[in-house]
Amino acid sequence: MTTTTGTMTSTRSLSYIALFAAVIAVFGLIPKIDLPFGVPITLQSLGIMLVGCLLGPKRAFYTVGLFLVAVALGLPLLSGGRGGVAVFVAPSAGFLLGWLIGAVVCGVSMRQFMKRMPEAKGKGLLIVAFLSSLIGGIVVMYFFGILGLMLAAHLSATQATLAVLAFIPGDLVKCAACAVLVQSVVRGMPSWRLDRD
Amino acid sequence: MRSLYSTRRTWLHGVPAWLKLVALSLGGTVLMLTADVRGIAIAAAIVLALFASLGPAGWRQWRMLRGLLIASALIAGFHWAMGHPAIGLVSALRIMAAAMLALMLSITTRFDDLLTVLETILSPLRRFGLPVERIALAIGLTLRFAENFYAQWQRLDDAHRARTGRSGGLRLLAPLAIRALQTAERVADALAARLGG
Repeated sequence: MTTTTGTMTSTRSLSYIALFAAVIAVFGLIPKIDLPFGVPITLQSLGIMLVGCLLGPKRAFYTVGLFLVAVALGLPLLSGGRGGVAVFVAPSAGFLLGWLIGAVVCGVSMRQFMKRMPEAKGKGLLIVAFLSSLIGGIVVMYFFGILGLMLAAHLSATQATLAVLAFIPGDLVKCAACAVLVQSVVRGMPSWRLDRD
Repeated sequence: MRSLYSTRRTWLHGVPAWLKLVALSLGGTVLMLTADVRGIAIAAAIVLALFASLGPAGWRQWRMLRGLLIASALIAGFHWAMGHPAIGLVSALRIMAAAMLALMLSITTRFDDLLTVLETILSPLRRFGLPVERIALAIGLTLRFAENFYAQWQRLDDAHRARTGRSGGLRLLAPLAIRALQTAERVADALAARLGG
């Protein structure tokens, strides 16, 4: 068996993949926080952004894929104890596909930034992580989420966009939280590499 | 963790997992292709009757459908208000019927049986380097990690409460993430020592 660090074939990677899938699951258990204007936010999409930023695109793909497989097999790992194949036919199913692609895009973006400025720390790192989670965790995720909503609920693009608009402020907060977390992890574990595949 | 699987045996428990999966995909396809109100109403009635035939094992998982019912009602109401009640009715019935079919699979099929089917389906991907046989190990690790982190989060939260009298909330995410990564490194070392690479 080859031991490329970027894939699931490496035992070390397997541990990180399982770990981050668990982080996504635990973020679903942490109670929901209600924003002042009444929209609930759960932390699970923060987990997705974090996976993309910290693990790089390849392992982010395996991590979110593993999480979704566990959900599909019937484990109630989504926030609110949801799980099973049923969540993949719900109107919000597009977001689940968006998680997978979004995490990968977030990882690609993070890697590209870090390759260009490998010494980024402090403010630079904050901005890079914020932008990466914004691209992967909001732009890409909402693209698929809105697409799913259009198909399942027979809405036009404008109508579907309006329906999810209320969640964007909460997700912006999550992007900021993700940036702070990435920075703390890099500070707490200086050996952590952000530019891997 | 509350799994969706019901230990209360129903007639559907005895049907092999692969057959149920095939039936689910066929049922889902039929639902997708049915576009007229009468057709979808008949299909939904059949699904409802099948779901009811599971008895209390099915109704006990009612909470899984509650959110979807609200979403379907909103979709139907929206299209009604826009002057296309038929489109709303078809979308809402389709979502509910598909979700019920999927939930029936989750309620009556053991996790291990579904995993076996999944491994069989994915096994051709082995040629492209996907270590299919490690999916079970990865999911097991994920669940163990999730339990571990939830306990760690509660411990951090208790410690924070003892110091400040308030719940820690988002402030605990950074220490939690760093602890999680340190645990993952230890597990990675342990796995590498036992499995190699």
